[in-house]
Amino acid sequence: MIQRFTVAALVLTIVALLRAAPALAEPYLAVQTGYKCSVCHVNPTGGGLRNDFGLTYAKVLLPAETVSNDLDAWTGKLTDRLRVGGDLRADWTRTTMPNSPSQQSFSLEQFRVYADLTILPDRLGIYVDEQIAPNGSLNEEAYVHYGSFTDGFYVKGGQFYLPFGWRLQDQTAFVRQVTGINMTTPDKGIEVGWEHSNWSAQFDLTNGAANANTGSGYQITTQVVYTKPIWRVGIAGSSTQSNAGDRHIGGLFAGLKTGPIGWLAEGDIVHDDSFPGGRTLAAALLEGDWRIIKGHNLKLTAEYSDPDRSVKNDQQTRYSIVYEYTPLPFLQLRAGYRHYFGIPQNNQQNQQLILMELHGYF
Amino acid sequence: MNSPLRSLLFRSAVLLSATLIAACAGNGEGLDANGRPLVPGGGAPPPLSADFDSIQANIFTPICSVCHVGGGAPEGLRLDAANSYNLLVGVPSTEVPSLLRVNPGDPDDSYIIQKLEGHAAVGGQMPLGCPNTQPCLTTSTIAFIRQWITNGAPAGTAAAQAAATPLNVMSIVPDSTEPVTETPPQVMIAFNHELDVSQLATHSLHIEKLAPGAAPVAIEQVPARISVAGANLRALMIWPSRPLTAGRYRVVIDANSSPSFSDIAGQTVAVAAPDERGEGVISTFDVEVRP
Repeated sequence: MIQRFTVAALVLTIVALLRAAPALAEPYLAVQTGYKCSVCHVNPTGGGLRNDFGLTYAKVLLPAETVSNDLDAWTGKLTDRLRVGGDLRADWTRTTMPNSPSQQSFSLEQFRVYADLTILPDRLGIYVDEQIAPNGSLNEEAYVHYGSFTDGFYVKGGQFYLPFGWRLQDQTAFVRQVTGINMTTPDKGIEVGWEHSNWSAQFDLTNGAANANTGSGYQITTQVVYTKPIWRVGIAGSSTQSNAGDRHIGGLFAGLKTGPIGWLAEGDIVHDDSFPGGRTLAAALLEGDWRIIKGHNLKLTAEYSDPDRSVKNDQQTRYSIVYEYTPLPFLQLRAGYRHYFGIPQNNQQNQQLILMELHGYF
Repeated sequence: MNSPLRSLLFRSAVLLSATLIAACAGNGEGLDANGRPLVPGGGAPPPLSADFDSIQANIFTPICSVCHVGGGAPEGLRLDAANSYNLLVGVPSTEVPSLLRVNPGDPDDSYIIQKLEGHAAVGGQMPLGCPNTQPCLTTSTIAFIRQWITNGAPAGTAAAQAAATPLNVMSIVPDSTEPVTETPPQVMIAFNHELDVSQLATHSLHIEKLAPGAAPVAIEQVPARISVAGANLRALMIWPSRPLTAGRYRVVIDANSSPSFSDIAGQTVAVAAPDERGEGVISTFDVEVRP
């Protein structure tokens, strides 16, 4: 045990010295394996509760060390009808901005618990995603689902994340910020989805973020993904009608596996009329994940954001390098470095971040 | 996969990689700190310091008023330059009404500090989503706001300049220009001078709910009261006695009350324009709240 922690500490130290850095995205696993999201997750659009295969992957294929079958490891099932899971991420971050003293702190980034109750097998169920901490309990997803999540049509009704582009764990990624569709912005409404062979498609009719307390307005979001073993491509669109101003988003995203490296790319463009005079924004992401050996992944990310296409000299970029070490099933250590580049008169757009994270999941 | 398609995908990946890696951040030329074009005659905001103008220019305008603006401002709190001071200083918070948003001289008991530091009893830390979706304000930044409150939360230079002109109404929130999307906790009338509070009657007006249609036909009357915070005598607050549901409303001065207010120098100004029935209508606004 001591040797194991020594190795973990040594890896973290080396990574920190190399200024390696954090990246929290998980969809690279899908690209590296060629799987659809629904292969490992209960939710066909990815993220959250893992299914039987997802837990098997987490126990056997992902970590550096595979535990013995004799060990009574977590199966995710409390009963035949109730599956639960969760993620806990604890961070240490050091942020440096020009003209400001550096700040460092430990924080509990999140503790989330997921549950899926099967009412009628393969037909009817209830799914819940609840953030327990920090800042008290917060319901992220709660919906009834009817139909097959693996092959055929299904319907969700309730509160859920919208399907748009890569469902990155890093909610601060430019593509997730500019679109405003990420895992901190669930919406209420219905989703009709279709999973078949290489295809995955969703159509959502929801309130729309700016319409939470109004009697009018809506958001339509749709996404289609085609998946092959070593590549995939998706297209997504969203349109919000709102008293606060209409908002239209289009996005293309793709994944490609070249040997041990999985590549993710996404480009989005947004037209937002809620801004005085209207504005058009753009964002792009390129991520490469190199699975060096089993349990070790090196992630490099380059991002671009243009907050207003009609304004010159306001573009921002962001580069990240992160090392992910999964020594054991259900435990991951991450360390990374991220550098923002923006206009020189804005300190926050030029910050640097060093992060270490302990990620426990089940 | 056939080789031409594989080659195309590989070349596309290389091209996209090269483009993104080579992409440069803007040099910021001709822009302010928020990345917006500089207004001719304007300039960069003043450095952050413990005065209201600086806090407005560096924090409230670029960060807070992204959400806290217009009819959809959360909790009815508009933090644009025209309204932030009057809706903050001496005004009870809607989430914890026992606390003032800004309690002059007492930052620890000012709700804005609790929200920014993340230990408020209700709701999340501000800016909303921090630190996950955007950075939280740093401790040193919040320290400037704390110091401003400790100093008594004085108004900015704009208020001092406006005081040189005759008594006038500076803004009314909400007004008829756009609907509010949450039940407004109060109607605020901001003046450029401190009011003579001895001339105010606390129950001299009411709020009418109007029937749908062009003609203003009142279908319900909601009592309201007037208050002025001792910390900010420039802002008159009108509090409805119960939450306003969706519909069109107007604030009306009672027939036997004066539609005029006066400052401590004796200047008067009419805040209510007579409507078709001769009643003094302060503000007409729409509430678009779900029943």
